[in-house]
Amino acid sequence: MRISNRLMTRVGSAALMAALSVSAGVAMAQDGPLRGNIRVVIGSTSTGGDTYQNSTIVVDQLAERLDLNMKVDAVGASSAFRTLDRDSRGNTLMIFHDQSYLGHLYGVEGYDDIFEKYTVGPTLAINPGNAYLVPKDSPYQTLDDIIAAVGNGETVRVAIQPGGVSEIGFSALKNAIAIEHPGQEDNLVAVNTGSQSDKNQQLFDGQADVINGTVQANEQYTRLPEDDQKAMRFVWLTARQDTIEQAPEEGLGQTSREQLLEYVEPNVHVTMGDDESFTFDKEFFFLYNKDMDPAIVEQIDEALTDIYAEGEIQETQKNAFFIPNFKPSDEASEYLADKMARYEEIISNIK
Amino acid sequence: MESGLSSLLSVSIDFETSHLFFPRIIHWIMAGLFVLILMTKVAPFMASVKRGERTLPIVGEARDNFRFIGTLVLIAAYFYFMAVVGDMFPYTGYGFLLVSMVFVLLMSLLYLHDWTKKALTIVVVNAIVAPSLAWFVLAKLFTITLP
Amino acid sequence: MEFLSLLDITFFLLAGFGALVGIIFGAIPGMTATMAVAVCLPLTYALGLHHGLALLLGLYVGGISGGMVPAVLLNIPGTPSSITTTFDGYPMAQKGEGEKALKICVIASVVGGLISAAILFLFAPLLADFSIKFSYVEKFLIILLALSVIASLSSSMLIGIFSGVIGIWLSLIGDYSISDGGNGKTRLMFDFMEPYLFEGFSLLPVLIGVFGISTILLEAEKGAKSGLVNERIKISKGGGFSLSIFNGRLTNLVRSSFIGTFVGMLPGVGGSAASVLAYTQEKNLTRDSSQMGKGAPQGLIASESANNALTGGALIPLLSLGIPGDSTTAVLIGAFTLQGIQVGPLFIPENTETWYVMMTALVFANIVMFFLMFYAIKYIAKVVMVPKHILFPIIVMMCVVGAYAINYGIMFDVWTLLIFGILGYLVQKIGLEVAPLIIGFILGSQAEVYFVKSLESFGTFSIFFTKSPIAMVLWGLIVASVMFAIVMGFKSRARQKMELTQVTGSTRTASGKGHETDND
Repeated sequence: MRISNRLMTRVGSAALMAALSVSAGVAMAQDGPLRGNIRVVIGSTSTGGDTYQNSTIVVDQLAERLDLNMKVDAVGASSAFRTLDRDSRGNTLMIFHDQSYLGHLYGVEGYDDIFEKYTVGPTLAINPGNAYLVPKDSPYQTLDDIIAAVGNGETVRVAIQPGGVSEIGFSALKNAIAIEHPGQEDNLVAVNTGSQSDKNQQLFDGQADVINGTVQANEQYTRLPEDDQKAMRFVWLTARQDTIEQAPEEGLGQTSREQLLEYVEPNVHVTMGDDESFTFDKEFFFLYNKDMDPAIVEQIDEALTDIYAEGEIQETQKNAFFIPNFKPSDEASEYLADKMARYEEIISNIK
Repeated sequence: MESGLSSLLSVSIDFETSHLFFPRIIHWIMAGLFVLILMTKVAPFMASVKRGERTLPIVGEARDNFRFIGTLVLIAAYFYFMAVVGDMFPYTGYGFLLVSMVFVLLMSLLYLHDWTKKALTIVVVNAIVAPSLAWFVLAKLFTITLP
Repeated sequence: MEFLSLLDITFFLLAGFGALVGIIFGAIPGMTATMAVAVCLPLTYALGLHHGLALLLGLYVGGISGGMVPAVLLNIPGTPSSITTTFDGYPMAQKGEGEKALKICVIASVVGGLISAAILFLFAPLLADFSIKFSYVEKFLIILLALSVIASLSSSMLIGIFSGVIGIWLSLIGDYSISDGGNGKTRLMFDFMEPYLFEGFSLLPVLIGVFGISTILLEAEKGAKSGLVNERIKISKGGGFSLSIFNGRLTNLVRSSFIGTFVGMLPGVGGSAASVLAYTQEKNLTRDSSQMGKGAPQGLIASESANNALTGGALIPLLSLGIPGDSTTAVLIGAFTLQGIQVGPLFIPENTETWYVMMTALVFANIVMFFLMFYAIKYIAKVVMVPKHILFPIIVMMCVVGAYAINYGIMFDVWTLLIFGILGYLVQKIGLEVAPLIIGFILGSQAEVYFVKSLESFGTFSIFFTKSPIAMVLWGLIVASVMFAIVMGFKSRARQKMELTQVTGSTRTASGKGHETDND
């Protein structure tokens, strides 16, 4: 009767907790500037997605370390920003990824400049899975084939979700074509669509030649036999080479790290002019209310430094195919501002 | 003929304004239906109101105004104060817990016709127990965020 | 049969416990199966994959089933997919047949659940290949088919369609979401509303506002007089339930289960479309459907079997494409990723054991759900005996919890309750129809995305007719559905007129005018 015991313990401990928190009121005796119950809102509405998964890993560890009640709520970007705007006490924190500034760069309604409006907190991890795929029987073997074909005036349609992480690789590709084959870049056409299933569907229907996807969601499709209508092939992973190099050796599913490395720079080269190659890592980081007590920023930085020094969280993240990438607030803020500047250039180039 | 038809059916949607494409179609349909309803239903109805055969909805009806307005005011106050009180105790669900108790009590009293001692006791006990139970199970056991 | 060794007593206890908690969640207006699965997701990490799945699938089945309880007894759909259950369930409850109605629902549910589980088990990969033949165009036509129910559901077709269009209009408020591939721009509102309405009104608060809060307003207006919700209800009669109700309803049961499975299988076509579609088809295809909407068991059978058949259906694309078929299965993906298991086209061949374990849990959860509910109904049905002054405040309170929690804590969703409560009140007062309005609201935003995206891809309206044989079949169904509604409209007008002539000897009434409007 393991379950009923566990259940009873849970009910019992919850009852105890309730009793304690009622009697002690909200002002529980905590040492740091963070107090009471903390809610971490995320910019995604999905509790099955990468943002939620990664946020829970970090927040659970943080809650334990700080001895606070912390909870991740998947409220979505617009609501998350609004909730964060209203609370400067530090009871509301936010975790999001590059979409937070890319949305602003692409001029999507509801996205402001995060560097102006919020305090950028520490980075936590990278999801290295951002990928571009073609049907298995596609005439394009490599990304170079695609660039060359577009340069020759062929129309290539790419299914993406507009206005953010999914579009940035497309924009970089368009920019590269504009540099290598000036005037031909308009032959690379965006097919604006929604979820991963919509993007896959566009490929199955022959309405797109290339789709944006992820290693996690599409890896199994790349292992289907070629005569299967659903079979796909990776042509490009936007992550940096040294990001993928940190992935577990067995890679993901049946695709090893070795195989994944074939699809990143320098094997795949998307130029940004000069000798620079475009790369994009989807990174998760904290965002804070601008008026929040700086002591809280410090407190979280310290706690995370300790957690990452112990090394356990890295294992958990790697098991979930995240690449740990902790940078304390100051460093992270500078790093992300640089990152944004690079992408701003690309986006303005192709306008 | 063929090409005429296909050009009639062809449409190109600019992505930048694509958010207005469907609403526009709906507006036209709505306007068309509204005119039809005005002519076939509302006009005869108004005519019969004028002749005194029927009464206007809402305005011309008998209503328990005290309970109706009371319900509206109570619900609005409930929602408002829940957020205000909840903000004093961030993310503990106390806002919901405390304001719900008051609300359940007041609304019960509003709807209670015979104020007997027994009924009042049940009302008070219910106002304390029901919100506490909901709060405990949801906010504590299942850690659902409540105001 | 190696997987049998994975099944222990804990496994079955968890599946059963999940079903119980799911039923409770589903039965609370505003609490959904999705939420039940989401709040229990963290537990599965400690439980391990197979035990975790048992719990989650139990919650899923229980949560979808529990929605019938408030739908029948209180006229509030507990989950969006039980909306059509209110159409016949509540009238039955008002006639004092609440217990009977619930029993019919439970049987229909378990049959629907088991049929869909069988389909899932036997044909999952095959059906997944079929489901990807449905692109934006076909999905739009499916939505259109579901919308066509409005024509036959309403008492005056013109008013019904107008109400439906208002519902669609309301669903368009907010941004044309980039997560659907839109441009993220807002429309149909003023700038000052943007902070609240950026994402538009959420479905669930709208539903419980229109059904729950407006019912309370209508009662308050009458002074909430009688002590009981409905004094005519005589529970003691036992409801007069017998299995013979299902005589001659077998086709309906099986058809609706297939429709439910099928709609569940299409990613992006929401769960509520399943029961609406099954309800439409029952209304169109059966010989005597004149009682539907007034308390006919056949409506309950169609609605509940379809809505439980969703469970198996929605698992098909999840397990054979890695794509969730509805919002609950989207959360289930989290359970797999937490355990480091990928779902995709190779999931079933590579994880045979897990696959069998899931099937066992699904079937077992359905059976537990059946017994739990069938024998608890007697007591559950007593909810209607609770005096109004106790019941109503609790309903409002639970609606608040559900609305606030549905998007993980948004205060505006609570205000939506009041806004749509008042709107629902006004709509009923000025003679518009609530059911078509809500169906329009539920399906409106999907209709937009699929319609606009089809045109963006193909650039011509003719694509809706020429895209594929599937599209043509769907058009056939849509035309048949609309024709049927018109013919039925004529018939009932004629009957009404005849009765009227007999009674008053005069035909000078609104029905004569209504007659003409049916032509358009």
